[in-house]
Amino acid sequence: MSLSADIGKSGVALGGPALGAGRGPRLRPLLSRLLALRWIAVALVLVGWFVYYPIVDNFFVSTTNQDIFTGEVTQVGLDNYRRLAEDPVVGRALWNNGAYAVLSIVFQVFAAFCLAAIVEGLSSERWRNFWRALYFVPSAISTTVTGLLFYFIYQPDIGILDGLLKALNLEHWSHVWLGDPQTAIYAIIAMSQWQGFGYSTLLFTIAIQKIPQELYDAARMDGAGPLRQLWSITFPLTREMTGMMIIVTVTGAFQVFNEVMVMTGGGPNNSSQVLGTWLYEQGFNQNDMGYAAAIGSVVFAVTMLTGILQLWYTRRRRVLA
Amino acid sequence: MKRSLQSMTAIVAAMSALGAGAAAAQTAVADPAAPVEYEGTIKVLTKFGMQRLAPYFTELAQEYEAQHPGVTIELIQEDDDSVKGKTKTLVASNSIPDVFFSWTGTWGGNFIRGERAVDLTPVIGPDTEWGKTFAPAAVDAFVYDGKHYGIPLYLDAKFMGYSKPIFEKLGLSVPETLEDMLAACDTIKEAGITPISIGNKEPWVAVHYLGQLLAYNVPKDVLERDFDPATAEYADPGYVASLEQFKAIADRCTIGAGMNGISYQNALQELSDGKSAMYYQEIIEFDNSASAKTKLKPEEFGFFPLPAPKDAKGDPKALEGAPEGYMISSASENVPLALDFMKFVTSQANAKVLSAPPYGQPSAVIGGADPAQMSPAVVGGLEDIAEASYLMQWLDTVNHPRVAAAWLSNLQAFAGGSVTAEEVVAEVRAAAAAAK
Repeated sequence: MSLSADIGKSGVALGGPALGAGRGPRLRPLLSRLLALRWIAVALVLVGWFVYYPIVDNFFVSTTNQDIFTGEVTQVGLDNYRRLAEDPVVGRALWNNGAYAVLSIVFQVFAAFCLAAIVEGLSSERWRNFWRALYFVPSAISTTVTGLLFYFIYQPDIGILDGLLKALNLEHWSHVWLGDPQTAIYAIIAMSQWQGFGYSTLLFTIAIQKIPQELYDAARMDGAGPLRQLWSITFPLTREMTGMMIIVTVTGAFQVFNEVMVMTGGGPNNSSQVLGTWLYEQGFNQNDMGYAAAIGSVVFAVTMLTGILQLWYTRRRRVLA
Repeated sequence: MKRSLQSMTAIVAAMSALGAGAAAAQTAVADPAAPVEYEGTIKVLTKFGMQRLAPYFTELAQEYEAQHPGVTIELIQEDDDSVKGKTKTLVASNSIPDVFFSWTGTWGGNFIRGERAVDLTPVIGPDTEWGKTFAPAAVDAFVYDGKHYGIPLYLDAKFMGYSKPIFEKLGLSVPETLEDMLAACDTIKEAGITPISIGNKEPWVAVHYLGQLLAYNVPKDVLERDFDPATAEYADPGYVASLEQFKAIADRCTIGAGMNGISYQNALQELSDGKSAMYYQEIIEFDNSASAKTKLKPEEFGFFPLPAPKDAKGDPKALEGAPEGYMISSASENVPLALDFMKFVTSQANAKVLSAPPYGQPSAVIGGADPAQMSPAVVGGLEDIAEASYLMQWLDTVNHPRVAAAWLSNLQAFAGGSVTAEEVVAEVRAAAAAAK
């Protein structure tokens, strides 16, 4: 903005003296702006080709039936979307993604915020560093490795979880966690919270550290206790981080794939399918790329909507402030 | 996590765009007289990605490269599960390797339908020099529309592997019928041992049980008709009977619904560790179940075909299994070299290496299975394959993908106890109708 404005004013930058010579005053800024575009042209082409073109193309693909072996393409209009609306597994996947989002907000946003506030409230720097590191360690492990780790933890009879329940005389609670359609997705979500909790805590820790200490000192002088400080200082001044964490968490919940693939593959009987794994199943196992693209469009719509809502919320907060 | 899904959606779009824009390759026919130019790179997609099997192709590639310095063999090694997705990804992006793994049945038929595989009839047909080196049934398994498209590498079939020490300790003999096996399970369970370890997290495991039971309960011609969505009816009572028999096995011989939470590899390990008495496995897994490194030693390992029920209406001599092999891509720029490499792979000397431990993959090459070098169990399994009335192909590769998916997910639900046998058959029937 400022660069193009400067160019427009001088008429000499980049294009040299001849740039605006003999042309009207309205044309000059336009030409200057167009010339300025060349600096971002490469980036625009790359982003357009690798980000926006696949999004648009994905929609067109979703209006076709394609056979990857023969290369045959049949136009089917919105049939794949009609099929999608009637597909009970898509409903199940949406529910699972929704549950993923809600539970992730509870644990990775609100619980992580509380934990970060508690850790930052510790007087000992050494203990603060220790707890930060301890909570962050699971985030350093890859999702696939964590998935395999929890697959063994959840194993019936020989898994650590059932072993622990037996040791605590809670044998009646032991369960085929990943093999039962009622518990499979929640067992996966629990693993995901374990892994993501520390990362969220660390981000909240950074946000809390940015709050000027003087505010807390003043509040203390006014007689505010720790809870009052949390509610009246920490919470409002980390609101932007909270908003960002919600959008990241919800978007992530609708894009979840690896952990489900590793731990259950979407089973048993599709009970733990999420949109990502169902997309993969349709596209890569059932040779139904058109339908897979339609599922991809749903994922895009949901995450896009979340992003728009978040942008609207953030802008509104700024205006109110 | 997030990036992978974004990438995958982009891949779906990009692959589809490529697929839409690029017509499938033209049918190519191998020319036996074509000279081999020992120069360039040959890409090979194998199903030997598992640690135990990977060295086979790795060593052969190194040996071939040493013999022909101008040639590079580039291996893409996948395992049993990942090879399906990998193959389709490569096909969709028109980058299928020169040599690629294939099952028989509908899976292999896809490549023929899309003109992706070279017609090998002139080089591996029944009267050709190379063709005569293979077991005829193995080569014929890759015949589509009267033409030969596959190079069979090994034979495969499903058997019940068992621990001889546990059977001997409990005074059990090899069961003759399904009812005998269920009774043996009761005895084993009373002794505090898991009769059959089973892991159905990968849902094809239960589907393999059902495939063998269907061969016993449903006449062959009915099965063949039902495998084709255009003629499928799924009206034979043998389907429900087979499912009920599987239910009986699950209830009396296994941990039941818990099987859905266990991987097949863990279940196999239970037999190897002596924690279970039986495990239903492929002949190519025999040397993995019992070896010098496992608690269950090779001499303690026994096997028998899954016993047929007494009043089976199908074919009690049928055996579930199929040869597995390789095809040559019609897009390959050096078909003669790719064929030359596969001739090297299927030479009698290399076939013997493949059949012997630690690989234990009984070669499809005549004389490539040397009993002196092989595990006795693998030799015995090969004899059973030879005596089988016919080989019932895997349900998940012989069927249309949509029908296969219906079998896979519904059988998992059936094993978990949430649907009835009749409901499973109804779902499969509906999937076949939708696939027409």
